[in-house]
Amino acid sequence: MAAGAVTGSDAKGDCFVIVASSDAITIDITTKAASLVAPGIRKLIESELELYDSPPVSVRIEDYGALDYVLKARLETSLRTALPRVKRTSRSVDRKETRCDRPRRSRLYAPGSNPRLLVGIEVHGADCVLLDLEDSVPVSEKASARILVKHLLSDIAFPEEVWVRINPLDSGGEEDVREVLRGWPHGLCLPKTETADDVVRLADLISTIEADSGLPEGFVKIMPIIETAKGVLHCAEIASADSRVVMTAFGAEDYTRDVGAQRSRRSLLFARSMLVAACAAAGIQASDTVYADLGDMEGLGKECALARELGFDGKGAINPRQLAVIHSAFSPSEEEMAYALRVVEAAEDAEKSGVGAVALEGKMIDRPVLERAQRLIRYGKRLAGGGDDA
Amino acid sequence: MKNALGREIPERIGSRVVEPYKGAFAVRNEGRKAARYQKSSWPADDKVLPSLDAAIDATGLSDGMTISFHHTFRDGDRVVNQVLAACAKRGIKKLRLFSTALFPTHAEVIDHIKSGVVSRIEGSMNGPIGHFVSQGGKLSEPAVLRSHGGRWRAIEAGDVEIDVAFIAAPYADPYGNATGIRGATPCGPISYSAVDAQYARKTVVVTNDLAPFPVYPMEIQQGWVDVVVEVDEIGDPENIASGTLRLTKSPTRLLIAQLTTDAVVHSGYFKDEFSFQGGAGGISLAVTKLLGDEMEKAGIVGSFGMGGGTRMLVDLLHRGLVRTILDGQAFDLDAIRSIREDDAHVMIDPGMYANFDSAGCSTYKLDTAFLGATEVDLDFNVNVNTHSDGLLLHGIGGHQDVASGASMTMITIPTLRGRIPVIVDSVTTVTSPGEVIDVIVTERGIAVNPKREDLSERFRSAGLPVRELADIKAEVDRLVQPVAKPIVGDEIIAAIEWRDGTIIDVVRKVEGFE
Repeated sequence: MAAGAVTGSDAKGDCFVIVASSDAITIDITTKAASLVAPGIRKLIESELELYDSPPVSVRIEDYGALDYVLKARLETSLRTALPRVKRTSRSVDRKETRCDRPRRSRLYAPGSNPRLLVGIEVHGADCVLLDLEDSVPVSEKASARILVKHLLSDIAFPEEVWVRINPLDSGGEEDVREVLRGWPHGLCLPKTETADDVVRLADLISTIEADSGLPEGFVKIMPIIETAKGVLHCAEIASADSRVVMTAFGAEDYTRDVGAQRSRRSLLFARSMLVAACAAAGIQASDTVYADLGDMEGLGKECALARELGFDGKGAINPRQLAVIHSAFSPSEEEMAYALRVVEAAEDAEKSGVGAVALEGKMIDRPVLERAQRLIRYGKRLAGGGDDA
Repeated sequence: MKNALGREIPERIGSRVVEPYKGAFAVRNEGRKAARYQKSSWPADDKVLPSLDAAIDATGLSDGMTISFHHTFRDGDRVVNQVLAACAKRGIKKLRLFSTALFPTHAEVIDHIKSGVVSRIEGSMNGPIGHFVSQGGKLSEPAVLRSHGGRWRAIEAGDVEIDVAFIAAPYADPYGNATGIRGATPCGPISYSAVDAQYARKTVVVTNDLAPFPVYPMEIQQGWVDVVVEVDEIGDPENIASGTLRLTKSPTRLLIAQLTTDAVVHSGYFKDEFSFQGGAGGISLAVTKLLGDEMEKAGIVGSFGMGGGTRMLVDLLHRGLVRTILDGQAFDLDAIRSIREDDAHVMIDPGMYANFDSAGCSTYKLDTAFLGATEVDLDFNVNVNTHSDGLLLHGIGGHQDVASGASMTMITIPTLRGRIPVIVDSVTTVTSPGEVIDVIVTERGIAVNPKREDLSERFRSAGLPVRELADIKAEVDRLVQPVAKPIVGDEIIAAIEWRDGTIIDVVRKVEGFE
């Protein structure tokens, strides 16, 4: 390999991009089916280089089936390593702001450093895709991963929501925010959130960058992840810390380690219930922790049922295979919807005829029952309509 | 001239006068089939010869002749190489190699082409041989590719006259009865060779497990066989599943499998007596498994599942979810064992499977099938033979037979292979025409052939993601720069036969790229 700044890997879907200073621009490409794809790669690199205020460079590419956004990201990382002050003109991104109360039954994690696992991540129907820059990314790849995620965000249209899990603000999170906001994510997940102040710091940082980068004010939402004892005890203030917060997520692995518990339904009950109550009080959604045993769909189903029973709105997923089970668990069943419709109908009838107390099938329908039914119907409609209707 | 698909086809290909493709079902052939060679035997005749060399001598094999093989050992086959080496040693030249399919293990064929031992190939070329032949100027006449059913038809019609058929037989008796499902190294049904055995001037059974008369089931019958020879090795059954039989873990492929299953369930065909063909590709295997679970849930019992047999398909039989399996090929040892042990696992030969010139094809009884492709185009035409760079790398297999036979033919494909989009404006080579393709399932949605409005309505009302193929294509094209287009010259590398013997397309030599 030629001397110069090297980024990437030889994994499927990735590439190496090697950049070095040069008297004139040269582009050298090796790839499978070169006669088919090398001309396209060359064109892409040429047009990308025009976006940088850099002196001429030599670019060497070893491609292993990388999509355009991967090539762009690897090129940017290598260029910035070789020429630290180089700047790229970025374009605005075609993405609409999300709604606070959009159904978020699933949040699907994908490692932000691995092109092979990112390809097609947008097609699985997850309510939120979470591009991860934190735990799944090795320290040595933090910088290249945030650039990769930025380009992914810029190039890929997500049918539902796309979020980025950044690192804690003091350990790389701030750099993450500055980089990935250029890709207009719907929101940022803040791991290890412990106080309202953590949220406010992130919200302030987002506000500054939004103003600088042409993003509409309030575009980027926040999902604090509660995964420590301190976080659990503060989750009420965290949930209401900023209007950008639309959901909190629970992280059971770190939490059990932090409190010295063994992971079980019983040991998590307090934290889970705290989270649900805090979110309900703040009028936002709560998402349960991931289920790590990919082979055990039955176990996943049971965990989902428990989470829903406790009041959670959704659950994390580590693989697209888990989505069907999660979605079905957190979607109102036909019976639930039918019952809710009957409740609302009975209440409307009672109101028309001026009757005070309403009963349906021998059960009293009071205000909370009616409100829950109305909420379920609204939720069901949003699910059916993909969540974009007003 | 242009054929019915608008593909430019020459009037002659090598010594052949071309009959252009007219439509999937546009021809009804009449008259008589070609006659078989006269054979005779007396009670004391002994067919066993001590070596392949002796067998070759006995058949009178000489320059310019046509030799045939089956491919049931797939990438584990050892017979083609042994026979060709023996021919080379005897100085035989200009053979026409008429194997059902060739695999990477047969790469020695390349040397035999270079040295003139082999000068023509008719049959599938998977991998290196196809790559070599695609360079042009290698064969004295263009290759001819046929489907399983199409090959059977061509032999019966006399389009291809076989001089010597060599039949790798895992279990055979000295009188020539043979099967692929027993013996020391079973490979599954060998009835691909049944028509070769009947029509060849001389038929040689090559076995590594010679057993006393009678060996059964008699896939190959004594009356067709002139010579029996025992050798040390005919093939490695571990390699019959090369490149195919692997359960996928890819989220993209699993999503396609799930969408395919959902589509089948809501197609209107999913009811008692339902039938389908499951292949050996990762997606097909996953669909077979998922479909079985859906059948169980719905309490549906299928009439038959069609092989290539796999352990997934056998599992459905054992769970009582299909009444029978009709199988012409086995992709794993579980399938072979099931053929031996389950009487509802029925062996069929390619003639019964899909011979166009016959009074019935099993493929015509299929409700649905899920097949792969290297490319599909906006007219729903499917390519399985060449890649987008024009190289001839795969055979037809049963693609045309199943696609034209099944009531609902589904192509299950990821939209990208590396940086290369699978949905294109016009396929590099047409293997199966759009008129026989009903549904294309990708990870980005389900495209339904406009002629199947009924299916798109059913899918839509079931909430399935039905999309225009052009929309899916546009979405994918945004992810990668366009690929270069091959520029083809006049030289024809191969002719692609439709199953009725007409020419649906030709593969031309690639001279460069735009």
